[in-house]
Amino acid sequence: MSINLVQKFKDQQVLSKLKSCDKEAFIKVYDDNVKDIHRFVYFKIGGREEANDLTSMIFLKAWNHIQNKTLEDAKTLRALLYKIARNAIVDYYRETGNKVTASLDDEDNRLEVIDEAENPQERLDRTADLELIKSKLPLLKEEYREVIIMKFVNDLSLKEIAEISEKSKGNVRVLLHRALNALRELVEQDTKQGIKQDTKQAKLAGNQGAKL
Amino acid sequence: MTNSQLIAKLNNLKKVNPDQKWLESNRELLLSQVSNSGAENLSIWKVMIINVSSVFKSAAQPAYALGVFIFLLLAGSLFSGPLLAKTKPNDSLYIARIISEKVKVNTTFSSVARNKMEVKFASEHAQDISVILSDPAFNNEANQDQVARLNNSFNEEVKTVKERIGRLSASGAAVSDNPSASKNDEVIIADSTKDGQGIQLSVQPLISATATLAIPAGFNLNATSVDLMATSTETEKVEPTKADKIIDEAQTLFDSKDYVKASDKLNEAYEIIK
Repeated sequence: MSINLVQKFKDQQVLSKLKSCDKEAFIKVYDDNVKDIHRFVYFKIGGREEANDLTSMIFLKAWNHIQNKTLEDAKTLRALLYKIARNAIVDYYRETGNKVTASLDDEDNRLEVIDEAENPQERLDRTADLELIKSKLPLLKEEYREVIIMKFVNDLSLKEIAEISEKSKGNVRVLLHRALNALRELVEQDTKQGIKQDTKQAKLAGNQGAKL
Repeated sequence: MTNSQLIAKLNNLKKVNPDQKWLESNRELLLSQVSNSGAENLSIWKVMIINVSSVFKSAAQPAYALGVFIFLLLAGSLFSGPLLAKTKPNDSLYIARIISEKVKVNTTFSSVARNKMEVKFASEHAQDISVILSDPAFNNEANQDQVARLNNSFNEEVKTVKERIGRLSASGAAVSDNPSASKNDEVIIADSTKDGQGIQLSVQPLISATATLAIPAGFNLNATSVDLMATSTETEKVEPTKADKIIDEAQTLFDSKDYVKASDKLNEAYEIIK
């Protein structure tokens, strides 16, 4: 409980300072949230360079909000940042005229995840999982992808997701359930196809061996 | 694949981060743009005020709510009392007055004080009813139902007053009709004779002992019994019959529709009782 109170105090302090246009508070907000926002944008639109540009724009817009005193009574700063991010992505889609069609498997800009604590086998397994999920996410519906990223990648609570997407908590819960089912079907489909192909290849190899 | 397995795979995506070089360069850029927009660092005083208000907003929210609730309760009881006391039986807020009086009675621990309070409230109600019924603008044919109700209420209040006076006298609490009587007198009676004659001493504690001695002729000083009776500061001599009589007179006047005199009689009865 004391940790919660300390965190509440810090959040309240930052919010109050932001409302007074304190730049140090804003930089702190940037440091705390930039990776989450970047990740959110990246998994939504698929390109790293575009994600970089959009993330910069999102924080500048947030600063404009603060300066124009339109921060209002934002319950959480995170919610505000995500709302700005969503709007920025919609504008991006409008300008580029497309949504995510390409896989997140960008050969030129492969995202390397280096975790020193892992052994090579763990890293291999994780990389495989990463590639699988990254390849299937763009195939999901926009709203499914969004809730999955917010909940399971960026660890937002149901309450925060509901505030950001302007839905009720119940709706968000149902959406998450459907999104997970849809993603699981895609992944299982892929796994089944992979097994079928492996079996085919094994049969072919066996036949060739027999011929020899 | 189960949902939990899928979620575990999704959690791996948390480790996907932007390039460190980009992070640093973007931070510098943002900082320069924010500085150029005229933002300044807050003064120490402003920071202190923010810190204090943040403490209250974050840590004390439940305490805040409780504090505000208690304050409203106290303020309400302080300020509403005098206001509610002015409401009359035909007002809409009269019920609030009744409720607040009941709360006061129920939160009084001494039975004597409680009975006296109930006598006070009941006699005030009866007086208010008399005042209303003495107003010809109210007491007319159009309001016969309300008049009848108020008549019943008056009878109920008078009954309450009598009952409470009865309880007060039964519990030994006394009402003195002599306002000059000292409440702190100790009375010592020595009486060894069967004819009731004896020595009566009045002693005032703390200040001085003054004794008035009246010895009847032929008194035998070989007293074999001494009765000591001390009156405490809380008790006074009982005169229930006098108050009861006045209340009965008030009832008679009320029944004969002399509301003004009935109200005066009730006031007189209350003055005796208190």
